[in-house]
Amino acid sequence: MPLNTITKNFRKAYTEFTTRIYDIPPRMLAFLILVMFTLLPYLIPYGRPLREILSVLISANLMAILAVSWDLLVGRTGLISLGHALFYGVGAYGTAILYKYFGWPIWITIPLGMLAGVGIALIIGFPCLRLKGPYLALLTMALPLSVTGFLYYFGDVFGRERGIADLPRVFPGLRLYDRYIADYYLSLALLTICSIIIYKLATSKTGMVFVSILDDELATKACGINVTKYKLMSLAISGLFGSLAGAFYAHMVSGSANPRFFMDPTAILPMENSLVPIIAAILGGIGTIYGPIVGVYLYRLLQDFAFPRMFECLKATGITVDVYLQPHIALVAFISIIVLLIVRWPRGIARAIVEWLEDLEEPREVEEILKEKAEKG
Amino acid sequence: MLEAILIFGIINGLIYSLVALGFTTAYGISGIVNLAHGAFFVVGAYLYGLFLQPLSNIIPQEFSFLAPVTAAILSIIITGVIGSIFYRITLHHILGDEVSVLITSIIGCVIFQKLIYITMGYAAAFQFRIEPLLSGQVRVLNTYVPSGHVLAAIISLIAFSVLAIFISKTKTGRAMKALSQDLESAMLMGVSTEKMYTFTSLLSAGLASLAGILYTSALTQGVASQMWMQALAISFTVVVLGGLGSIKGSIFGGLIFGIAEYAATKLLPGGGVLQQSIPFIVIIIALLIRPKGLFGKKIEME
Amino acid sequence: MHLLEVKNLTKRFGGLVAVNNVSFHVDEGELLGIIGPNGAGKTTLFNLITGYLKPDSGKILLRGEDITGLPPNKIANKGLVRTFQIVRPFRHLPTIANVLVALQSYRGRRRIEWIKTAERKAMEMLEDVGLSDMALEPAENLSHGDLKRLEIARAMALEPEIVLLDEPFGGLNPVETEYMIKSLQRIHLDGHTLVIVEHKLHALMKLVKRVLVMHNGEIIAEGTPEEIAKNKKVVEVYLGKAI
Repeated sequence: MPLNTITKNFRKAYTEFTTRIYDIPPRMLAFLILVMFTLLPYLIPYGRPLREILSVLISANLMAILAVSWDLLVGRTGLISLGHALFYGVGAYGTAILYKYFGWPIWITIPLGMLAGVGIALIIGFPCLRLKGPYLALLTMALPLSVTGFLYYFGDVFGRERGIADLPRVFPGLRLYDRYIADYYLSLALLTICSIIIYKLATSKTGMVFVSILDDELATKACGINVTKYKLMSLAISGLFGSLAGAFYAHMVSGSANPRFFMDPTAILPMENSLVPIIAAILGGIGTIYGPIVGVYLYRLLQDFAFPRMFECLKATGITVDVYLQPHIALVAFISIIVLLIVRWPRGIARAIVEWLEDLEEPREVEEILKEKAEKG
Repeated sequence: MLEAILIFGIINGLIYSLVALGFTTAYGISGIVNLAHGAFFVVGAYLYGLFLQPLSNIIPQEFSFLAPVTAAILSIIITGVIGSIFYRITLHHILGDEVSVLITSIIGCVIFQKLIYITMGYAAAFQFRIEPLLSGQVRVLNTYVPSGHVLAAIISLIAFSVLAIFISKTKTGRAMKALSQDLESAMLMGVSTEKMYTFTSLLSAGLASLAGILYTSALTQGVASQMWMQALAISFTVVVLGGLGSIKGSIFGGLIFGIAEYAATKLLPGGGVLQQSIPFIVIIIALLIRPKGLFGKKIEME
Repeated sequence: MHLLEVKNLTKRFGGLVAVNNVSFHVDEGELLGIIGPNGAGKTTLFNLITGYLKPDSGKILLRGEDITGLPPNKIANKGLVRTFQIVRPFRHLPTIANVLVALQSYRGRRRIEWIKTAERKAMEMLEDVGLSDMALEPAENLSHGDLKRLEIARAMALEPEIVLLDEPFGGLNPVETEYMIKSLQRIHLDGHTLVIVEHKLHALMKLVKRVLVMHNGEIIAEGTPEEIAKNKKVVEVYLGKAI
């Protein structure tokens, strides 16, 4: 491919980020995919492979909820958030604190943790929504980074690096592998329910107002809409689902609420919980609601399956990469792949699939029209 | 006590102002929020540290002060070039789309962080020692301040002055100023936005690297590959206080931030840990007092 | 009582006085035109009245109620709506959704008779401007003329008392211009008060009964279209002093 075609595609990729909001995902396809995922545990042999795959999928499902909540806020309402990890962590710490200091069962602590997420969203929203675009973006980035300071200041309460550990599992009674399966189904159910709720909201009239804010805030005001109220609404809902994801993650996956929810300087991808929703949404299609789910799965697929295998293959051919270096090289390669994917499918892979499916219908119509014409004359 | 807070606050504040300077200049002239600024801050510091050792070995004892100077100049130039290359490859093509610019530049930070890790290894990426410029202390009024800090603050002031002179006296500088005030008219006057934006990216990356050198040598005596987050947090606080795009505002915001931060860490019991959160607290308080933000380019309506 | 009263409105931008001590009034049922060369301050005046800018001094009264300094959405909900000089559609939404957004406002929700759903009301608005067959088209696919009509439909969805139109004829070809004239006349006949800022004098003069002329932020003349056309000062301002 000649160089200028690449650059042209590159430019096109960035300028076509915006989305056609009223795309309807093929419901049949989504249903089929859901069925597939439901049957998944039965297709994998019991034992370690099952645990490996399921643990990745559980994390992916929860991360997908975070990503979808991000998409509602950023892709549909236009409020850029570079620090969604905030809600993830608030949900986790919320449920953890309530468990540790009040001893309440998780079916109380988790909803309250979600409320904490909403509360934080509103508390931040009131002063900060007046900030203009770049300022708001910077603030959202600084937020999760700043929270860790608080966590250490009240170190006794929050447990410093270790955080609040030994959180109860959701299904404490089950044996190890059965528990993974149960957790998997729970995470899948949560993802499905949350996505449907957010999707319904996004396509409702309130969702239309969100999009109008994204498109042209001044015109929205001219229509008599209290834009601040709707922005707060979007932020609160995003916070609700983001903290839901975080709370369940704390109980199902990490077993603890620790500062790494907000920011992990030692992680492979720094600011992972803030950056993954962004990358996932871009990969899958910003503003589509279903796009980020696809994006998260792609991310986890590459991260947890493709790259480790890649280094093994390299070893087979004689190239050995130092173990400590592997994840970091993987990340650089990973980002390059993402960039290529974005260039090829600028509006998102999931959107491309949806549009392709819509296109599949058209030839039939055209064929029929041609047939009619032929018959007539 | 109060005097110490003011003095340390001002000195730190001047350094913070410099950290934000490249960032705010880039916004003022090209209108983009280039988060990769943090990466260039870090890269500049690492390059400086890398050059310093061999240069100290080469340069004879009498001119030992030339070593850091040369290392700094090399680092600034190279970082500037890296910065403008990064800009040309990525951001230049997506100037219209603010969201993409933010996301791309932040991914740029991550890439640079990883590249540092890959090229320099785990230990150096985690903590890389940068010697202070001067050792010992100096007496300012009644307080004793590390000399390195004072020197850094002075250099920062010099940098500001040089930039101000550059913008008002040279042709390029005036073109930059024109661009920042009225894009269309500047273009009509024949200012080439492409050349100017590239030059701005060079300049702001260079400033970032200078800031990185001063900050890491004076305040932290070391750099880590993830310090871009810190640099961005500082820049961000400074511009919220002083306004994006305003050089004067940068000084103002930096000073306020420096004083407030030092006061908070000294006055609050155990406040040192809070250091990371101070930017955020300062912002919230500032916003509650003055919701519209303080200086900066006012965007009223349409 | 006047429907809309503007008293001593002034707005400065740095050293420039964009609107200088402007006063005028609009009575219910009127069709007022505001003309003037570029830079006269017409759009700034609109922005001040509709809440997008805060005046440095002066008052704006809507039916005697002081609306100076209120945010745009509150003013719209009180019955004073505007359209924009450069069209501002919601590009990602289908045409009908553009109107539905307006119907989500406080005023929009209040006015729906409980039999009619919001969708039905929105379709009516679109039919009024002739856009009903584009209802499901994404707004970004509409032509400029259609978008101008969409602006009107969106404004009318709020069932306003007074509509401020900023250059509604901008960029329209002769056919579209005629259509717009008829639409605006119909809206006026339905009982709405209109204030129109416009450059295309021939279209405007066909429509309005009273005209204000602005220059350098001040009102320099007022009268019927015929009177204004004969006014020497007005002609000078438009054509320069070389007459």
